[in-house]
Amino acid sequence: MTATPTATKPAPRFVRADGPDKVTGSGRYTADLTLTGALAAKFKYADVTHARITKLDVSAARAMPGVFAVLTQADVPSVKFGPFVQDRTLFADGTVRFEGEIIAAVAAVDAATADRAVAAIVVEYSPLPVVNDIEGALAADSPLVHAEWADYGSILVRDRNDASFASIAKGDVEQGLASSHLVVTSRYVADGCHAAPIEPRAVVAQWEGNKVTIWTSTQVPFDARAGVCETLELPNNRVRIIVPHLGGGFGGKCGFHYEAHVAALARVAKRPVRLVFSRREEFVAPDRRREGIVYEFHTGVDADGRIVARKAWLAIDNGAYTADAGFFSQLAAMHALGPYRIPNALAEAHLVYTNHQPSGSVRAPTAPQTCWALESHTDEVARAIGLDPVAFRTLNAVDTGAEGPSGQTYGEIGVQQCIEAAAAGAGYGNPLPDDEAIGVAIGWWPSFSVPSGAYVKIDGDGSGQIITGAQECGTGAVMTLRQLAADELGMDPEDFELVYQDTSVAPYDMGATGSQTLFNNGRAVVAAAGQIAEQLRNLAADRLEASPADIVLADGTASVAGSPDRGVPIAELAGIAAGGELLIGHGSGMPPGPPPTVGSTCVGDLGMSAWVAPQFSCHAVRVKLDRDTGVARVMHVSAAHDSGTIINPIGAQGQVEGAVLMGIGQALTEGTTYDDQGRQRNAALLEYKLQTAADAPPIAVHFVEINTPDAGPRGAKGLAEAPNVATAAAISNALAQLVGAPVRQLPMTAERVWTALTEQAAQS
Amino acid sequence: MSFTIATTLDDALAALAAGARPVAGGTDLVVGARHGKAPLPEHLVAIDRIAELKTVTETADGVSIGALVSHHQIETHPLLTTAYAGLADGSALVGSPATRHIGTLGGNIMNASPAMDTGAPLAVMLAEVELRSVRGTRRVPIEALWSAPGRTGAEPDELCVAVHIPAPDPRANTAYVRLEYRRAMEIAVVGAAAFVALADDGTIAALRVGLTAVAPTIFTGNLLGQVGRSVADAAAAAAALSMEHSTPISDVRASEAYRRHTVGVMARRAVEAAARRAAGETIAIPVNRAIGIGAAS
Amino acid sequence: MSESIHLTVNGVAYPVTVDQGRNLLSVIRTEIGLTGTKEGCDDCECGACMVLLDGQPVNSCSYLAVQAQGRAITTVEGLADGDALNVLQRNLLETGGVQCGFCTPGMLLSATALLDRTPNPSDEEVRIGLSGNLCRCTGYAKIVAAVQLTAAELRNG
Repeated sequence: MTATPTATKPAPRFVRADGPDKVTGSGRYTADLTLTGALAAKFKYADVTHARITKLDVSAARAMPGVFAVLTQADVPSVKFGPFVQDRTLFADGTVRFEGEIIAAVAAVDAATADRAVAAIVVEYSPLPVVNDIEGALAADSPLVHAEWADYGSILVRDRNDASFASIAKGDVEQGLASSHLVVTSRYVADGCHAAPIEPRAVVAQWEGNKVTIWTSTQVPFDARAGVCETLELPNNRVRIIVPHLGGGFGGKCGFHYEAHVAALARVAKRPVRLVFSRREEFVAPDRRREGIVYEFHTGVDADGRIVARKAWLAIDNGAYTADAGFFSQLAAMHALGPYRIPNALAEAHLVYTNHQPSGSVRAPTAPQTCWALESHTDEVARAIGLDPVAFRTLNAVDTGAEGPSGQTYGEIGVQQCIEAAAAGAGYGNPLPDDEAIGVAIGWWPSFSVPSGAYVKIDGDGSGQIITGAQECGTGAVMTLRQLAADELGMDPEDFELVYQDTSVAPYDMGATGSQTLFNNGRAVVAAAGQIAEQLRNLAADRLEASPADIVLADGTASVAGSPDRGVPIAELAGIAAGGELLIGHGSGMPPGPPPTVGSTCVGDLGMSAWVAPQFSCHAVRVKLDRDTGVARVMHVSAAHDSGTIINPIGAQGQVEGAVLMGIGQALTEGTTYDDQGRQRNAALLEYKLQTAADAPPIAVHFVEINTPDAGPRGAKGLAEAPNVATAAAISNALAQLVGAPVRQLPMTAERVWTALTEQAAQS
Repeated sequence: MSFTIATTLDDALAALAAGARPVAGGTDLVVGARHGKAPLPEHLVAIDRIAELKTVTETADGVSIGALVSHHQIETHPLLTTAYAGLADGSALVGSPATRHIGTLGGNIMNASPAMDTGAPLAVMLAEVELRSVRGTRRVPIEALWSAPGRTGAEPDELCVAVHIPAPDPRANTAYVRLEYRRAMEIAVVGAAAFVALADDGTIAALRVGLTAVAPTIFTGNLLGQVGRSVADAAAAAAALSMEHSTPISDVRASEAYRRHTVGVMARRAVEAAARRAAGETIAIPVNRAIGIGAAS
Repeated sequence: MSESIHLTVNGVAYPVTVDQGRNLLSVIRTEIGLTGTKEGCDDCECGACMVLLDGQPVNSCSYLAVQAQGRAITTVEGLADGDALNVLQRNLLETGGVQCGFCTPGMLLSATALLDRTPNPSDEEVRIGLSGNLCRCTGYAKIVAAVQLTAAELRNG
């Protein structure tokens, strides 16, 4: 094993290329941009959650002085879109299905005028029955969220309100449960929650002739471009997406959001148009929030505590439209089985339409809440069979060479080392005060292997540029590309400038999503830089009268192996090249293919049952509970991760620390509550409580570094999402010890903990 | 719309008499206006530069706190953090550091939110609010000032200029605690303040409890029946009485039942902390963080 | 109704004509043209809009621009020493306390005010001092470390 604690390795100084912009205030974010003559955009939202539009009259709004454009679905191409189910239109098309559905868009001289125009739009509704309950929506007699569901184009297994069914089956689960020494059955419910980046989204669009440039706060510029092209029926090469600095995303800014609305307004108004969201809009309107899920688990173990069988049933809140949630059912099914050795497994997951805000990929979609539910259930199983929770996991978790629940056999992985390291880092087993406990949970998350491209060039003065389609959302992944190119070419990271976030300049990349930037675009940059390295070796070989194979690129110099005094500066070679064949590399590299699975069958398969370079983690969290009030405080977090080789230690630690704190919020204070119509009751930062600096505990981070084959550059896996997976689960397991029973609803708010305490007291 | 900056109290009172509304830090006013709670008043007079309203003065009877004294001043003031510790507990919990710098005691009181953090401690200290207008000056017991959520008995032309708190006995002090879900940036889910005076034998000589966010306005009870009883008994009684007399609502922050339960917990903790202070012990400001949220004291 | 006033931002007096109901944030960003100060919530709940007013932290989203007349306003653009980052900016960057950067300006100003009044803060004082600035990226650990590093450097001259 090559487990290396980071503490023994000095972290190299790593200063982000975009850092000076960000600490001086000179960096421009989308809402900081203005264009001469720009108009302000505002949306008219449904506010009701399920109704037929019986009247829509925008004539008064259009007639108002200062109003340049008012658009409804009648004014844009009649295109239904959606990556998995084509169930949505840009504007409400006769029916509204959630409170944040856009009825109309206005562009006016200023925001106040646009607000007045929005207020002047007349909409009348005929109410439809509201689907507000995830499980109830699956009932045969439930009202339908989409009466026309059967007419939609889709690649998913669907039925009425069930927008995507998926199952993973291996062995014989009923037989396994029947033959178990003991079976534990649990039910858990996770509420939805939000990505809540601090920057509310913004879009600016400007047409010149038949081409449009859109500056937007998206994590996925190429996806945004595809959405604009699809809905406004434009070719890719007439739509240019530019992302200024991006103020966080966490998945909330993935997908295609409002770029087409603003572009359509700008086309009609013949002026640039600028949209900036309020915090309330940020909560209510996007089709990206973390999905609520209802869980049922049955796990059977033998007398030694080995898992014999596990059956899981999930109902996932899809919300009113499917957005990118189509794959959630299969992904959640995998998380419901967990990183365990399970000979007999069945997970069935339904993605259910409701009249809630649509769900979409938020940092490790489906994973934190499913890990919370499964790992809380796992502690119930361990308790029932009389095993310590850590011992139970050590016994049952997958390991190098072991077969996972879907029949994938793992190469070298570090889950067992993660368990050991996290427990040790938390002081697991040491005596604690009566009001404190340590909970432990393990989690996993795939690396996403997808195509991605980059160019690298070295100019005549020896300075470099990396021109990449990758998107920087704050994680530093794009910033780290400089290090990869520099290492490939024997140059300094600071020799390179980054050109990024412009779809008309750089080759395709999927964007800041799926923790994939370094994994895939890193591969592309290494490939592109490799082409230049080859050119440099040839140039140097000519100059030094040596074989190209003997040329070493290091410290800014190309020299002959074994003869460091026979060298020529790379900058000089670049100067030579500028007079001839230019130093331009382009790369994508071949993404590693999916590993095989054996013995499992999947309904609704979207390739989520076998994971490339899977990441593993274990979090051990010490929690203090005020039993009088149910208020819990996280005192310390020990987080151990196998994300392969760590390329940028400071950045990697920052990902873990930030994700852990987000996990604490999900565990304790962040959850959307709905009124009886499916409207959000806490769409504001006072009532939807992010953790503050005063709440943040010390977080000890430990990386189990394994140079993983068929992974990203240098054996790196993804990282940004994995550390968000296990924190809430570990907190739950600490609380269950302190309460005497699990708190079965997420977030485990003080009141819910108090209720569980009260129920425990009533039973004893 | 008009906006004037008053640099003297007389200027401010004249502006109020002419129909202007006062703005000090402006936080509640500006946020409220943008969120459509209430439009900005037509005529505003900025009072934040009136130096005479920014002082804390120890008097023969106690202390007078100018209406423009900030929460930050209160939470760091040597006298207020010792003899009037319950008020400092409350000010130290208001909003964020920025809110505490810009937010004033007068603004907090006159906003009349049942969830304000300075109200209950001031009420158990029997503080009086000094209201002044061009017509004259009057003092109102603070609990009588609040008439409904967001409403006070002050006339439109009256300005809160000071809060007067009687000096506590040497063996008396106060504490304020609140239920919060985070350690900062919170609003009281429920809260409780206690004024405790101890007899020489350590039993209760006087006990008043004030409750936050469990009724349309902050209210207090004078627990005469606890005189002569132990602190522990009095704290338990305060908890029970607080639960009994509260009329909390259910909303997105908490259910009625949970509020009723936790206001009892807060009342008990406030009494215990105030008693410890009355006995001469120092508990850091604010009590919430000193005893640690999530930790019984 | 509009009013012509002067606002002094980072030592420069700007003549501006503003509606009396305008908040300071929008005037700084629009009329004065300094966009380092951000809008994150419009509600005093996130701290992205923080500026210093006579050295004290203020959420500029909830402060009337006309009320800032005659006061010294400091924004993030006023922190650097010419072209050189100040010690706090440099430390925040080098410790990894900057990710997406949207909370960074407000965070820097809160930390500046904190170190000004508490040159030798405990970790708890730093955490309370920064508690009005929400950060979604970092978990705050590296930000707290940067503030402590800066305090130590400033103490040691």
